[in-house]
Parts: sequence; C-alpha cells; structure tokens
Amino acid sequence: MIEVTRRQFLKLSGATAATLAVIELGFDPKKAQAASKELKIAESKVTPTICPYCSVGCGILVHVKNDDVVYTEGDPDHPINRSTLCSKGNSVRQLFTSDRRVKKPMYRAPGSNTWEEKDWDWTLDRIAEKIKETRDKTFVTHDDGMPVNRTEAIANLGGAALENEECYLIVKLMRSLGLTNIEHQARI
Amino acid sequence: MAYAKLVDVTICTGCRGCMVACKNWNDLPVDTRDYQGSYQSHDKPNGKTWNVLQMKEYENQSGGFEWLFRHQACMHCEEAACVKVCPEVAITTTDMGNVVIDQEKCVGCTYCVQNCPFGIVELAEYVNADGEKAERAQKCDMCNDRIHEGLEPACAVTCPLDAIVFGTKEEMLELAKERLEEAKLTYPDAQIYDPPGVDGTNMIYLLAHPPEVYDLPPNPKVPTSAVVWKDYAQPLGKALLGVTTMAVFTGFITNKLFNKEGHGHDTEEGGEINEETKQ
Repeated sequence: MIEVTRRQFLKLSGATAATLAVIELGFDPKKAQAASKELKIAESKVTPTICPYCSVGCGILVHVKNDDVVYTEGDPDHPINRSTLCSKGNSVRQLFTSDRRVKKPMYRAPGSNTWEEKDWDWTLDRIAEKIKETRDKTFVTHDDGMPVNRTEAIANLGGAALENEECYLIVKLMRSLGLTNIEHQARI
Repeated sequence: MAYAKLVDVTICTGCRGCMVACKNWNDLPVDTRDYQGSYQSHDKPNGKTWNVLQMKEYENQSGGFEWLFRHQACMHCEEAACVKVCPEVAITTTDMGNVVIDQEKCVGCTYCVQNCPFGIVELAEYVNADGEKAERAQKCDMCNDRIHEGLEPACAVTCPLDAIVFGTKEEMLELAKERLEEAKLTYPDAQIYDPPGVDGTNMIYLLAHPPEVYDLPPNPKVPTSAVVWKDYAQPLGKALLGVTTMAVFTGFITNKLFNKEGHGHDTEEGGEINEETKQ
C-alpha cells in the first residue's frame, strides 16, 4: 500500500473537490430559479366602479397603490360581466394614468385654433350664459296653435357612465329647459 | 404540475380584451403601428406587446368568407428551444410549466429570438432597478406572478367568451376534446394543436382549420443546430475540459507529493514504492 500521510490525504481530496466543481457536477441552477416577483396588487386598495364606455355597464375593480392606479380588472362578483372585460373596459386605467388626460376645462374661442385652460367658475357661467341666450332666441311657445314650449337649438347627450339617478336628474333639467333632443351615447 | 392555457379560436370574437389586459397587468409600453390595410394591429407578438390578436380574412372550401381570430402569445413549449439555447440560463421552465425570462440575467444575445419555432421572443427595452436601460429578450410569461399566487393569467380572466381558459394541462386537454366535438359540427377540419415536436405546449389551441391557415408551423421542432450544440457538443466539451483539468491537477499534485524529496532520485524512490506495494 502507498503510505499516505494525513497532510497528503487532505491535499488530494481538496484537489479532487476543486476539479469536480470545475466540471459542474451536482449543480442545477434552473431548478433553483423558480422564485416569482412580488404581486403588484398585493397591498393595493380596491374600489369597485362601473365601466364608462358602452351601455352594458360592466363592473370594474380599481387597484390603487401609492396614489396611483396600478391595475384595473373585471369585477368577479359583478353579475353582468363576472370578471371579464373587453379591450375598451380593460383600457380604463388610462383614464387616470394617461399623460394626455385633460384635468381642467378647456376652451376654444370661436374662430380660434388653440385651446386654453379655464377655471370651473368661468366655464359654468359661460355655459349658463350661452344656454340662456340660445334658449331665449329660439324658444317656441306654440306650433299650429298647440302649446309646445320647446327649443330645438340645444341638444343633450348622456353617457354610459351615468347612473339611473343621474340620468333622471339630467332629463328632468333638460325637459324643464324645453329640450326635445335628448340622447344617450350608447344608443348612437 | 403542468398548467396550460386553452385557446378556443372557434368561439373567439376578436374583441382584443386579452391584448389590453396583458398590457395592463404587465405594464407594457405603447407600441404603435401604421395602418396596414386590415384590422390586424401588429403582425405578431414582440417584446413590447406580448400577445397579439391575429385577424385573418379567409375563404373556406365552399367559397364562403370567414373571419379568423387567434390569440397569439408564447406557446410555453414543454421542450422549449429558448430554454435550451440560452447561454446565461436566463430562460427557465417553472414548476407550473410556463417558460419565463429573467431580464436581470439576460444579456440580449438573441439566441432565443433566432431559435423560437413560433417566432415569439423579441428584444425590447428593459429598465433595471438602478434605472439602467438595455435591450433584453421579453415575452409572455403566462403571468408568472399571478399563477403562482393562485390567480389566472390576465388574458384568461378577462376573456368575455371563455375562449381562453386556464387550468391543469390534463383538464385543458379534456376540455379541448369536449369542445372539439362541438366545433366539428361547424368546422369539419377542427383540431387540437398541441405539437409533439416540442413535446407539447402549455398553450393549446382548438383550431377551426389546419394550422397552416393560421400561419402556425404544422410540426414545430427545436432547431437541429440547437439540439446538436446543446445536447451533444457542449456537454462533451465540458466533460473534456473537466477530464483535462482533473488530469492536470492530479498529475501536478501527485508529482509534488510523492516526488518532493526527488531532485534526481525520482526513479529510485518510485522503484522503492513499487517494490513495497508488490511485497
């Protein structure tokens, strides 16, 4: 037998281990790497809402985290869509996050080609002024001897984001002004 | 356990909910295209748009016109060419059967882009935690984070017609067979697309027509060059390297150990030891 001292034995086994490490025995990095990143809606605050686009009225859950909408998805508990959404409903997150979102009333004067920012007081006053002016100018009290009390010069267009109660109030206001052209976006 | 996504193109209406849901969940950037003359938006999935709805105008055998809609995304092959060719081990198959790319490990060499049998993987800008930008391979990961938390992929959740369904591979194959029976009544050529050339995929199609009609390869395979290189040439090369290194090391150390008093007496000492062993 070869006489191997303890020192020699250690040196030999060390060399063997180093060599084995070089030829990658016993390593499988593919299996060790299945960890998934943190779920982005893990800590979000969830608010239900209704899709503003068509008249179907799908339920949407809005996930908010750090004052930002991180995800929007179909509401699984909503009886109409049961978690599903089409492409338009899915894009509803951009109503908040898009850099093209309009945050203030915009006004384009007659004949002008530029938009200018206005505050809400000015805008509402201006709308009221114009409604009054147009209504006074075009109001018809009688047609063929029949009392009609209407104006056909103003139209109102509702949207699918409006609730039943909002629709009721809008129609009530518009009828009281004498409008007959009252429509809804989802019917066009 | 392997999970799979079943895409039933026979009931898809082409609403593109899956496309937008994917962008929404994965925070993918804007990727605009000019109008190409049809309703097809992007020609195929890329690094910024992980799933694209194919819209095809098709004339069937009886001369009738059909709209063909197909949700296209990563097929999550069982034997994935991208996993095989990636030199950085950045592309892996998880325990749920989906194929994911780690952009932190990816170096953007495009081997996966060149070898994908379905032409799905592409490079796109990736920003790491330090804000550094680089071109990295990106594709659908079947919402890896969602499915590992017990949620379904975003496209499957949002599909209004259940044309995209998520579940275990066995369940999905069973469901596909059930639906195939119904689909055959309308489309005699209907078939399940789970190509054996890549050992099956974890996105299964129920197609109304033969795969060629949808621009799908009828028999996709891992490219031969990738198999030869990765399964034969490289392991052999690595083994040879190991054997050589081991030989050099062992030779060097035994030389040092047993001949250290040598200096010209090598043969005598060697002889002595041999004699001792014999005795």
